[in-house]
Amino acid sequence: QVLARVIMVHLAHLLMKNYHGGHVAIRMALGGCANRPFFRIVAAYNKRARDSKYLEQVGCYDPLPNSHNEKLVGLNIERIKHWIGCGAHVTKPVEKLLGLSGFFPLHPMTITNAERLRKRRALKAIAASEEETPGD
Amino acid sequence: MAALGVPRWRCLWRRAAAPLGLRRPGRALLGSRGYGQDAGSEADKEKSDVTKPCFTDELVQRLLSKMTGLDLQKIFRPIKQELKPPTYKLMTEKQLAEATRKAIKEAKELLKMPPVLSEREPIDDVLAEDRILEGTETVKYVFTDITYSTPHRERFIVVREPSGVLRKATWEERDRMIQVYFPREGRKLVPPPIFKDENLMTVFREDRHEDVLNLCIAQFEPDSANYIRVHHQTYEDIDKHAKYDLLRSTRHFGGMVWYLVNRKKTDGLLINMIQRNLMDDATCLINLYHMLYPDCQSAKAAKEQEVHGIDLIKVFMKTESKKVGYIELALQAYQEALASSAAL
Repeated sequence: QVLARVIMVHLAHLLMKNYHGGHVAIRMALGGCANRPFFRIVAAYNKRARDSKYLEQVGCYDPLPNSHNEKLVGLNIERIKHWIGCGAHVTKPVEKLLGLSGFFPLHPMTITNAERLRKRRALKAIAASEEETPGD
Repeated sequence: MAALGVPRWRCLWRRAAAPLGLRRPGRALLGSRGYGQDAGSEADKEKSDVTKPCFTDELVQRLLSKMTGLDLQKIFRPIKQELKPPTYKLMTEKQLAEATRKAIKEAKELLKMPPVLSEREPIDDVLAEDRILEGTETVKYVFTDITYSTPHRERFIVVREPSGVLRKATWEERDRMIQVYFPREGRKLVPPPIFKDENLMTVFREDRHEDVLNLCIAQFEPDSANYIRVHHQTYEDIDKHAKYDLLRSTRHFGGMVWYLVNRKKTDGLLINMIQRNLMDDATCLINLYHMLYPDCQSAKAAKEQEVHGIDLIKVFMKTESKKVGYIELALQAYQEALASSAAL
Protein backbone atom coordinates (compact mmCIF):
# COMPACT_ATOMS: atom_id res chain seq x y z
CA GLN A 1 0.00 0.00 0.00
CA VAL A 2 2.97 2.40 0.63
CA LEU A 3 4.11 3.74 -2.74
CA ALA A 4 7.84 4.31 -3.29
CA ARG A 5 9.06 7.91 -2.89
CA VAL A 6 10.69 8.31 -6.33
CA ILE A 7 9.07 6.44 -9.17
CA MET A 8 9.84 6.29 -12.87
CA VAL A 9 6.67 7.47 -14.53
CA HIS A 10 6.31 5.43 -17.70
CA LEU A 11 4.54 7.87 -19.97
CA ALA A 12 5.64 8.76 -23.48
CA HIS A 13 5.64 12.56 -23.20
CA LEU A 14 7.42 12.45 -19.85
CA LEU A 15 10.49 10.88 -21.46
CA MET A 16 11.09 14.22 -23.11
CA LYS A 17 10.64 16.31 -19.99
CA ASN A 18 12.90 14.40 -17.57
CA TYR A 19 11.12 15.55 -14.44
CA HIS A 20 13.90 14.69 -12.02
CA GLY A 21 12.86 13.83 -8.50
CA GLY A 22 9.27 14.92 -8.89
CA HIS A 23 6.10 12.93 -9.19
CA VAL A 24 2.57 13.19 -10.43
CA ALA A 25 0.00 14.18 -7.82
CA ILE A 26 -3.78 13.94 -7.83
CA ARG A 27 -4.82 17.08 -6.04
CA MET A 28 -7.36 19.90 -5.99
CA ALA A 29 -6.96 23.02 -8.10
CA LEU A 30 -9.00 26.01 -6.89
CA GLY A 31 -11.15 27.93 -9.33
CA GLY A 32 -14.37 29.90 -9.20
CA CYS A 33 -14.95 33.51 -8.14
CA ALA A 34 -14.83 35.65 -5.01
CA ASN A 35 -16.66 33.93 -2.15
CA ARG A 36 -17.46 31.07 -4.52
CA PRO A 37 -14.78 28.35 -4.52
CA PHE A 38 -14.84 25.41 -6.91
CA PHE A 39 -12.25 22.66 -7.01
CA ARG A 40 -11.11 20.61 -9.96
CA ILE A 41 -9.54 17.29 -9.03
CA VAL A 42 -6.52 17.19 -11.26
CA ALA A 43 -3.52 15.00 -12.08
CA ALA A 44 -0.51 17.35 -12.26
CA TYR A 45 3.23 17.40 -11.57
CA ASN A 46 3.66 18.15 -7.90
CA LYS A 47 6.13 21.02 -8.44
CA ARG A 48 3.67 22.95 -10.63
CA ALA A 49 1.66 25.85 -9.25
CA ARG A 50 -1.69 24.84 -7.78
CA ASP A 51 -3.84 26.27 -10.57
CA SER A 52 -1.46 26.09 -13.51
CA LYS A 53 -1.16 23.56 -16.33
CA TYR A 54 -2.13 20.04 -15.34
CA LEU A 55 -1.81 16.71 -17.09
CA GLU A 56 -5.50 15.82 -16.94
CA GLN A 57 -8.64 16.82 -15.10
CA VAL A 58 -9.95 13.81 -13.31
CA GLY A 59 -12.91 15.14 -11.36
CA CYS A 60 -14.52 18.11 -9.70
CA TYR A 61 -15.74 19.08 -6.25
CA ASP A 62 -18.19 21.79 -5.34
CA PRO A 63 -17.73 22.73 -1.65
CA LEU A 64 -20.94 24.77 -1.46
CA PRO A 65 -24.13 22.72 -0.98
CA ASN A 66 -26.85 23.06 -3.63
CA SER A 67 -30.59 23.56 -3.27
CA HIS A 68 -31.05 19.90 -2.31
CA ASN A 69 -28.42 20.25 0.43
CA GLU A 70 -25.86 18.13 -1.39
CA LYS A 71 -22.20 18.66 -2.18
CA LEU A 72 -21.53 17.34 -5.65
CA VAL A 73 -18.34 15.43 -6.38
CA GLY A 74 -17.59 14.01 -9.81
CA LEU A 75 -14.80 11.40 -10.09
CA ASN A 76 -13.48 9.89 -13.29
CA ILE A 77 -12.72 6.55 -11.64
CA GLU A 78 -11.15 4.98 -14.71
CA ARG A 79 -8.59 7.74 -15.09
CA ILE A 80 -7.90 7.94 -11.33
CA LYS A 81 -7.12 4.24 -11.40
CA HIS A 82 -4.83 4.80 -14.38
CA TRP A 83 -2.86 7.59 -12.70
CA ILE A 84 -2.56 5.70 -9.42
CA GLY A 85 -1.34 2.79 -11.46
CA CYS A 86 1.30 5.07 -12.99
CA GLY A 87 2.48 5.93 -9.52
CA ALA A 88 0.71 9.21 -8.77
CA HIS A 89 0.52 10.39 -5.19
CA VAL A 90 -2.81 11.47 -3.79
CA THR A 91 -3.04 14.49 -1.51
CA LYS A 92 -4.85 14.34 1.82
CA PRO A 93 -8.05 16.22 0.88
CA VAL A 94 -8.53 14.05 -2.20
CA GLU A 95 -7.80 10.94 -0.14
CA LYS A 96 -10.45 11.99 2.35
CA LEU A 97 -12.97 12.58 -0.45
CA LEU A 98 -12.21 9.23 -2.02
CA GLY A 99 -12.54 7.62 1.40
CA LEU A 100 -15.95 9.19 1.90
CA SER A 101 -17.00 7.98 -1.53
CA GLY A 102 -16.11 4.38 -0.79
CA PHE A 103 -13.40 4.06 -3.45
CA PHE A 104 -10.67 4.18 -0.76
CA PRO A 105 -11.10 3.00 2.81
CA LEU A 106 -12.09 5.80 5.19
CA HIS A 107 -9.12 8.07 5.92
CA PRO A 108 -7.82 7.69 9.50
CA MET A 109 -7.94 11.49 10.03
CA THR A 110 -11.64 11.53 9.11
CA ILE A 111 -12.28 9.01 11.84
CA THR A 112 -9.93 10.76 14.28
CA ASN A 113 -11.61 14.12 13.68
CA ALA A 114 -15.03 12.56 14.08
CA GLU A 115 -14.01 11.01 17.40
CA ARG A 116 -12.44 14.27 18.61
CA LEU A 117 -15.59 16.18 17.69
CA ARG A 118 -17.69 13.66 19.52
CA LYS A 119 -15.54 13.89 22.65
CA ARG A 120 -15.62 17.69 22.56
CA ARG A 121 -19.42 17.71 22.26
CA ALA A 122 -19.74 15.17 25.07
CA LEU A 123 -17.54 17.29 27.31
CA LYS A 124 -19.54 20.39 26.44
CA ALA A 125 -22.78 18.59 27.23
CA ILE A 126 -21.42 17.46 30.60
CA ALA A 127 -20.15 20.99 31.35
CA ALA A 128 -23.55 22.46 30.41
CA SER A 129 -25.44 19.99 32.63
CA GLU A 130 -23.00 20.61 35.51
CA GLU A 131 -23.62 24.35 35.18
CA GLU A 132 -27.36 23.81 35.45
CA THR A 133 -27.36 21.59 38.54
CA PRO A 134 -25.35 23.94 40.85
CA GLY A 135 -27.50 26.77 39.47
CA ASP A 136 -30.68 25.19 40.95
CA MET B 1 -14.29 0.56 12.28
CA ALA B 2 -11.53 1.44 9.82
CA ALA B 3 -10.63 -2.25 9.58
CA LEU B 4 -14.16 -3.02 8.46
CA GLY B 5 -13.66 -0.69 5.52
CA VAL B 6 -10.43 -2.27 4.30
CA PRO B 7 -11.45 -5.76 3.10
CA ARG B 8 -14.71 -4.42 1.65
CA TRP B 9 -13.47 -1.55 -0.44
CA ARG B 10 -11.89 -3.69 -3.12
CA CYS B 11 -15.11 -5.42 -4.03
CA LEU B 12 -17.48 -2.51 -3.23
CA TRP B 13 -17.55 -1.33 -6.80
CA ARG B 14 -17.77 -4.84 -8.27
CA ARG B 15 -20.69 -5.80 -6.07
CA ALA B 16 -22.37 -2.47 -6.62
CA ALA B 17 -22.49 -3.14 -10.35
CA ALA B 18 -24.49 -6.34 -10.17
CA PRO B 19 -27.82 -5.23 -8.59
CA LEU B 20 -28.23 -2.45 -11.13
CA GLY B 21 -29.64 -5.18 -13.29
CA LEU B 22 -30.40 -3.86 -16.77
CA ARG B 23 -28.15 -4.84 -19.62
CA ARG B 24 -25.50 -2.57 -21.10
CA PRO B 25 -27.13 -0.52 -23.87
CA GLY B 26 -25.33 1.73 -26.36
CA ARG B 27 -23.92 4.89 -24.83
CA ALA B 28 -25.15 7.20 -27.59
CA LEU B 29 -28.23 9.29 -26.97
CA LEU B 30 -30.46 7.35 -29.33
CA GLY B 31 -28.88 4.06 -28.36
CA SER B 32 -30.23 4.42 -24.85
CA ARG B 33 -33.61 3.45 -26.28
CA GLY B 34 -32.32 -0.10 -26.75
CA TYR B 35 -33.02 -1.28 -23.20
CA GLY B 36 -36.72 -1.60 -23.95
CA GLN B 37 -36.21 -5.05 -25.43
CA ASP B 38 -34.72 -6.80 -22.43
CA ALA B 39 -36.55 -5.07 -19.63
CA GLY B 40 -39.95 -5.63 -21.22
CA SER B 41 -39.43 -9.27 -22.10
CA GLU B 42 -37.92 -10.15 -18.71
CA ALA B 43 -40.79 -8.57 -16.84
CA ASP B 44 -43.34 -10.31 -19.02
CA LYS B 45 -41.72 -13.71 -18.72
CA GLU B 46 -41.79 -13.43 -14.97
CA LYS B 47 -45.46 -12.44 -14.96
CA SER B 48 -46.92 -15.53 -16.61
CA ASP B 49 -45.77 -18.91 -17.77
CA VAL B 50 -47.71 -18.59 -21.03
CA THR B 51 -45.74 -16.46 -23.50
CA LYS B 52 -47.81 -13.29 -23.31
CA PRO B 53 -47.10 -11.00 -26.25
CA CYS B 54 -45.26 -7.90 -25.09
CA PHE B 55 -44.95 -4.45 -26.65
CA THR B 56 -41.74 -5.19 -28.51
CA ASP B 57 -42.87 -8.33 -30.38
CA GLU B 58 -42.55 -8.19 -34.18
CA LEU B 59 -46.18 -9.00 -34.77
CA VAL B 60 -47.46 -6.51 -32.20
CA GLN B 61 -45.25 -3.77 -33.59
CA ARG B 62 -46.45 -4.49 -37.13
CA LEU B 63 -50.10 -4.29 -36.10
CA LEU B 64 -49.52 -1.08 -34.15
CA SER B 65 -47.61 0.62 -36.94
CA LYS B 66 -50.30 -0.35 -39.44
CA MET B 67 -52.88 1.33 -37.22
CA THR B 68 -50.72 4.41 -36.80
CA GLY B 69 -51.06 5.24 -40.46
CA LEU B 70 -48.67 7.26 -42.58
CA ASP B 71 -50.12 10.71 -43.22
CA LEU B 72 -47.10 12.48 -44.72
CA GLN B 73 -48.81 15.86 -44.61
CA LYS B 74 -49.22 15.62 -40.85
CA ILE B 75 -45.80 14.12 -40.08
CA PHE B 76 -43.86 16.70 -42.04
CA ARG B 77 -45.98 19.67 -41.16
CA PRO B 78 -43.92 22.78 -40.39
CA ILE B 79 -42.27 22.52 -36.96
CA LYS B 80 -40.67 25.43 -35.22
CA GLN B 81 -37.31 25.87 -36.87
CA GLU B 82 -35.17 28.55 -38.47
CA LEU B 83 -37.01 30.65 -41.04
CA LYS B 84 -35.70 29.72 -44.48
CA PRO B 85 -37.28 30.65 -47.81
CA PRO B 86 -38.83 27.54 -49.41
CA THR B 87 -36.89 25.75 -52.15
CA TYR B 88 -38.62 24.65 -55.33
CA LYS B 89 -37.38 21.77 -57.43
CA LEU B 90 -38.41 20.76 -60.93
CA MET B 91 -38.74 16.96 -61.07
CA THR B 92 -39.82 14.28 -63.49
CA GLU B 93 -42.43 11.71 -62.47
CA LYS B 94 -39.71 9.21 -61.62
CA GLN B 95 -37.82 11.70 -59.47
CA LEU B 96 -41.02 12.62 -57.66
CA ALA B 97 -41.67 8.96 -56.93
CA GLU B 98 -38.10 8.61 -55.65
CA ALA B 99 -38.50 11.67 -53.43
CA THR B 100 -41.79 10.33 -52.04
CA ARG B 101 -40.11 7.00 -51.30
CA LYS B 102 -37.33 8.73 -49.39
CA ALA B 103 -39.90 10.81 -47.52
CA ILE B 104 -41.76 7.64 -46.51
CA LYS B 105 -38.52 6.09 -45.25
CA GLU B 106 -37.77 9.17 -43.17
CA ALA B 107 -41.34 9.24 -41.91
CA LYS B 108 -40.99 5.63 -40.73
CA GLU B 109 -37.88 6.69 -38.79
CA LEU B 110 -39.81 9.53 -37.19
CA LEU B 111 -42.61 7.13 -36.33
CA LYS B 112 -40.41 4.81 -34.24
CA MET B 113 -42.40 4.11 -31.10
CA PRO B 114 -40.91 5.13 -27.76
CA PRO B 115 -40.49 2.17 -25.38
CA VAL B 116 -43.25 1.05 -23.05
CA LEU B 117 -41.75 -0.28 -19.81
CA SER B 118 -43.10 -1.13 -16.41
CA GLU B 119 -42.32 1.25 -13.57
CA ARG B 120 -38.80 0.97 -12.16
CA GLU B 121 -38.20 -0.50 -8.71
CA PRO B 122 -36.87 2.03 -6.19
CA ILE B 123 -33.20 1.61 -5.27
CA ASP B 124 -32.36 1.36 -1.60
CA ASP B 125 -29.09 -0.40 -1.16
CA VAL B 126 -26.68 0.47 1.62
CA LEU B 127 -23.01 -0.04 0.76
CA ALA B 128 -21.44 0.87 4.09
CA GLU B 129 -22.46 2.01 7.56
CA ASP B 130 -19.92 4.19 9.31
CA ARG B 131 -21.76 5.52 12.32
CA ILE B 132 -18.62 7.22 13.69
CA LEU B 133 -19.09 9.93 11.07
CA GLU B 134 -22.46 10.86 12.49
CA GLY B 135 -22.62 14.54 13.38
CA THR B 136 -19.45 15.62 11.53
CA GLU B 137 -21.36 16.90 8.49
CA THR B 138 -24.67 18.61 7.98
CA VAL B 139 -24.68 17.99 4.23
CA LYS B 140 -24.83 14.91 2.05
CA TYR B 141 -22.07 14.18 -0.43
CA VAL B 142 -23.10 12.84 -3.83
CA PHE B 143 -20.29 11.05 -5.68
CA THR B 144 -20.79 10.45 -9.40
CA ASP B 145 -18.54 8.38 -11.60
CA ILE B 146 -17.96 10.57 -14.65
CA THR B 147 -16.16 7.99 -16.79
CA TYR B 148 -17.24 8.87 -20.31
CA SER B 149 -17.51 5.33 -21.60
CA THR B 150 -19.86 3.78 -19.05
CA PRO B 151 -23.54 3.60 -20.02
CA HIS B 152 -25.75 5.78 -17.85
CA ARG B 153 -27.63 2.79 -16.47
CA GLU B 154 -24.43 1.28 -15.07
CA ARG B 155 -22.95 4.47 -13.70
CA PHE B 156 -21.99 4.48 -10.00
CA ILE B 157 -23.72 7.25 -8.09
CA VAL B 158 -23.44 6.97 -4.31
CA VAL B 159 -24.54 9.28 -1.52
CA ARG B 160 -22.81 9.68 1.85
CA GLU B 161 -25.48 10.84 4.29
CA PRO B 162 -24.68 13.07 7.30
CA SER B 163 -25.41 10.01 9.44
CA GLY B 164 -22.39 8.27 7.93
CA VAL B 165 -24.37 5.79 5.84
CA LEU B 166 -23.04 5.23 2.30
CA ARG B 167 -25.94 4.30 0.05
CA LYS B 168 -26.72 4.11 -3.64
CA ALA B 169 -28.51 7.14 -5.05
CA THR B 170 -32.26 6.98 -5.73
CA TRP B 171 -33.55 7.11 -9.29
CA GLU B 172 -34.43 10.82 -9.06
CA GLU B 173 -30.95 11.65 -7.72
CA ARG B 174 -29.41 9.54 -10.48
CA ASP B 175 -31.36 11.33 -13.20
CA ARG B 176 -30.41 14.71 -11.77
CA MET B 177 -26.70 13.90 -11.48
CA ILE B 178 -26.51 12.45 -14.98
CA GLN B 179 -28.19 15.56 -16.32
CA VAL B 180 -25.66 17.75 -14.45
CA TYR B 181 -22.57 15.99 -15.77
CA PHE B 182 -23.88 14.78 -19.13
CA PRO B 183 -26.55 17.29 -20.12
CA ARG B 184 -29.01 16.06 -22.68
CA GLU B 185 -30.74 18.34 -25.14
CA GLY B 186 -34.33 19.10 -24.28
CA ARG B 187 -34.02 17.87 -20.71
CA LYS B 188 -34.15 20.30 -17.78
CA LEU B 189 -32.68 19.72 -14.31
CA VAL B 190 -36.01 20.52 -12.69
CA PRO B 191 -39.00 19.11 -14.60
CA PRO B 192 -41.07 22.00 -15.99
CA PRO B 193 -44.42 22.69 -14.25
CA ILE B 194 -46.35 21.58 -17.35
CA PHE B 195 -46.22 18.04 -15.99
CA LYS B 196 -48.22 18.86 -12.87
CA ASP B 197 -51.78 17.52 -12.94
CA GLU B 198 -53.58 20.91 -12.96
CA ASN B 199 -51.45 22.19 -15.82
CA LEU B 200 -51.95 18.99 -17.81
CA MET B 201 -55.70 19.69 -17.76
CA THR B 202 -55.11 23.09 -19.34
CA VAL B 203 -52.94 21.57 -22.03
CA PHE B 204 -55.54 18.91 -22.82
CA ARG B 205 -58.20 21.56 -23.25
CA GLU B 206 -56.05 23.10 -25.95
CA ASP B 207 -55.65 19.75 -27.76
CA ARG B 208 -51.86 19.77 -27.46
CA HIS B 209 -51.47 16.16 -26.33
CA GLU B 210 -48.74 15.40 -28.86
CA ASP B 211 -46.54 18.30 -27.68
CA VAL B 212 -46.90 17.24 -24.06
CA LEU B 213 -45.94 13.67 -24.94
CA ASN B 214 -42.89 14.83 -26.90
CA LEU B 215 -41.79 17.00 -23.98
CA CYS B 216 -42.35 14.08 -21.63
CA ILE B 217 -40.16 11.77 -23.73
CA ALA B 218 -37.38 14.38 -23.75
CA GLN B 219 -37.60 15.03 -20.01
CA PHE B 220 -38.16 11.68 -18.28
CA GLU B 221 -36.76 8.17 -18.52
CA PRO B 222 -39.27 5.67 -20.01
CA ASP B 223 -39.52 3.63 -16.84
CA SER B 224 -39.87 6.54 -14.42
CA ALA B 225 -43.09 7.13 -12.52
CA ASN B 226 -43.61 10.61 -14.02
CA TYR B 227 -43.31 9.39 -17.60
CA ILE B 228 -45.85 6.61 -17.05
CA ARG B 229 -48.21 8.91 -15.15
CA VAL B 230 -48.18 11.63 -17.82
CA HIS B 231 -48.66 9.12 -20.60
CA HIS B 232 -51.54 7.36 -18.85
CA GLN B 233 -53.27 10.66 -18.13
CA THR B 234 -52.91 11.75 -21.75
CA TYR B 235 -54.33 8.48 -23.03
CA GLU B 236 -57.23 8.62 -20.55
CA ASP B 237 -58.09 12.14 -21.64
CA ILE B 238 -57.97 11.21 -25.32
CA ASP B 239 -60.17 8.21 -24.67
CA LYS B 240 -62.65 10.29 -22.66
CA HIS B 241 -63.10 12.87 -25.41
CA ALA B 242 -62.51 10.52 -28.37
CA LYS B 243 -59.70 12.68 -29.75
CA TYR B 244 -57.84 9.73 -31.28
CA ASP B 245 -57.10 11.66 -34.43
CA LEU B 246 -54.67 13.95 -32.63
CA LEU B 247 -52.21 11.09 -32.28
CA ARG B 248 -53.08 9.25 -35.48
CA SER B 249 -49.91 9.64 -37.56
CA THR B 250 -47.52 10.22 -34.67
CA ARG B 251 -45.20 7.85 -32.86
CA HIS B 252 -47.42 7.88 -29.76
CA PHE B 253 -50.32 6.10 -31.41
CA GLY B 254 -48.88 2.63 -30.83
CA GLY B 255 -48.38 3.28 -27.15
CA MET B 256 -51.92 4.57 -26.80
CA VAL B 257 -53.43 1.53 -28.52
CA TRP B 258 -51.34 -0.79 -26.34
CA TYR B 259 -52.57 0.99 -23.23
CA LEU B 260 -56.22 0.84 -24.30
CA VAL B 261 -56.09 -2.81 -25.32
CA ASN B 262 -54.45 -3.79 -22.04
CA ARG B 263 -57.29 -2.15 -20.17
CA LYS B 264 -60.04 -3.33 -22.54
CA LYS B 265 -61.18 0.19 -23.39
CA THR B 266 -61.16 -0.35 -27.14
CA ASP B 267 -64.76 0.63 -27.87
CA GLY B 268 -64.23 4.35 -28.44
CA LEU B 269 -61.29 3.68 -30.73
CA LEU B 270 -63.26 1.07 -32.69
CA ILE B 271 -66.17 3.48 -33.24
CA ASN B 272 -63.74 6.18 -34.35
CA MET B 273 -62.11 3.85 -36.87
CA ILE B 274 -65.44 2.70 -38.33
CA GLN B 275 -66.64 6.29 -38.64
CA ARG B 276 -63.50 7.15 -40.59
CA ASN B 277 -63.90 4.06 -42.81
CA LEU B 278 -60.63 2.49 -41.65
CA MET B 279 -61.77 -1.12 -41.76
CA ASP B 280 -58.26 -2.58 -41.99
CA ASP B 281 -57.23 -0.72 -38.86
CA ALA B 282 -60.31 -2.00 -37.05
CA THR B 283 -59.45 -5.60 -37.95
CA CYS B 284 -55.84 -4.98 -36.85
CA LEU B 285 -57.11 -3.73 -33.51
CA ILE B 286 -59.27 -6.79 -32.98
CA ASN B 287 -56.42 -9.10 -33.99
CA LEU B 288 -54.20 -7.41 -31.43
CA TYR B 289 -56.91 -7.83 -28.80
CA HIS B 290 -57.15 -11.54 -29.59
CA MET B 291 -53.38 -11.89 -29.40
CA LEU B 292 -53.35 -10.42 -25.91
CA TYR B 293 -56.44 -12.25 -24.65
CA PRO B 294 -56.52 -15.57 -26.49
CA ASP B 295 -58.97 -17.02 -23.98
CA CYS B 296 -61.77 -14.53 -24.47
CA GLN B 297 -65.02 -15.51 -26.14
CA SER B 298 -64.65 -13.57 -29.35
CA ALA B 299 -61.12 -14.91 -29.92
CA LYS B 300 -62.28 -18.51 -29.70
CA ALA B 301 -65.31 -17.77 -31.90
CA ALA B 302 -63.12 -16.05 -34.48
CA LYS B 303 -60.68 -18.96 -34.58
CA GLU B 304 -63.46 -21.52 -35.00
CA GLN B 305 -65.38 -19.69 -37.68
CA GLU B 306 -62.38 -18.13 -39.50
CA VAL B 307 -64.13 -14.80 -39.89
CA HIS B 308 -62.62 -11.71 -41.50
CA GLY B 309 -63.46 -8.06 -41.97
CA ILE B 310 -66.83 -6.77 -40.91
CA ASP B 311 -67.99 -10.14 -39.56
CA LEU B 312 -65.00 -10.19 -37.22
CA ILE B 313 -66.04 -6.79 -35.95
CA LYS B 314 -69.61 -8.01 -35.45
CA VAL B 315 -68.45 -11.07 -33.49
CA PHE B 316 -66.17 -8.93 -31.34
CA MET B 317 -68.89 -6.38 -30.77
CA LYS B 318 -71.42 -8.93 -29.53
CA THR B 319 -69.10 -10.63 -27.04
CA GLU B 320 -66.53 -8.17 -25.74
CA SER B 321 -67.59 -4.56 -26.10
CA LYS B 322 -69.67 -2.53 -23.67
CA LYS B 323 -71.02 0.06 -26.08
CA VAL B 324 -72.71 -2.43 -28.39
CA GLY B 325 -75.35 0.08 -29.48
CA TYR B 326 -72.90 2.70 -30.66
CA ILE B 327 -70.79 0.24 -32.61
CA GLU B 328 -73.86 -1.22 -34.30
CA LEU B 329 -75.01 2.26 -35.33
CA ALA B 330 -71.59 3.13 -36.68
CA LEU B 331 -71.40 -0.14 -38.64
CA GLN B 332 -74.85 0.47 -40.08
CA ALA B 333 -73.93 3.98 -41.15
CA TYR B 334 -70.75 2.64 -42.77
CA GLN B 335 -72.61 -0.07 -44.67
CA GLU B 336 -75.22 2.40 -45.88
CA ALA B 337 -72.47 4.72 -47.07
CA LEU B 338 -70.81 1.79 -48.88
CA ALA B 339 -74.07 0.77 -50.49
CA SER B 340 -74.91 4.30 -51.65
CA SER B 341 -71.42 4.87 -53.07
CA ALA B 342 -71.57 1.48 -54.83
CA ALA B 343 -74.98 2.38 -56.24
CA LEU B 344 -73.49 5.65 -57.54
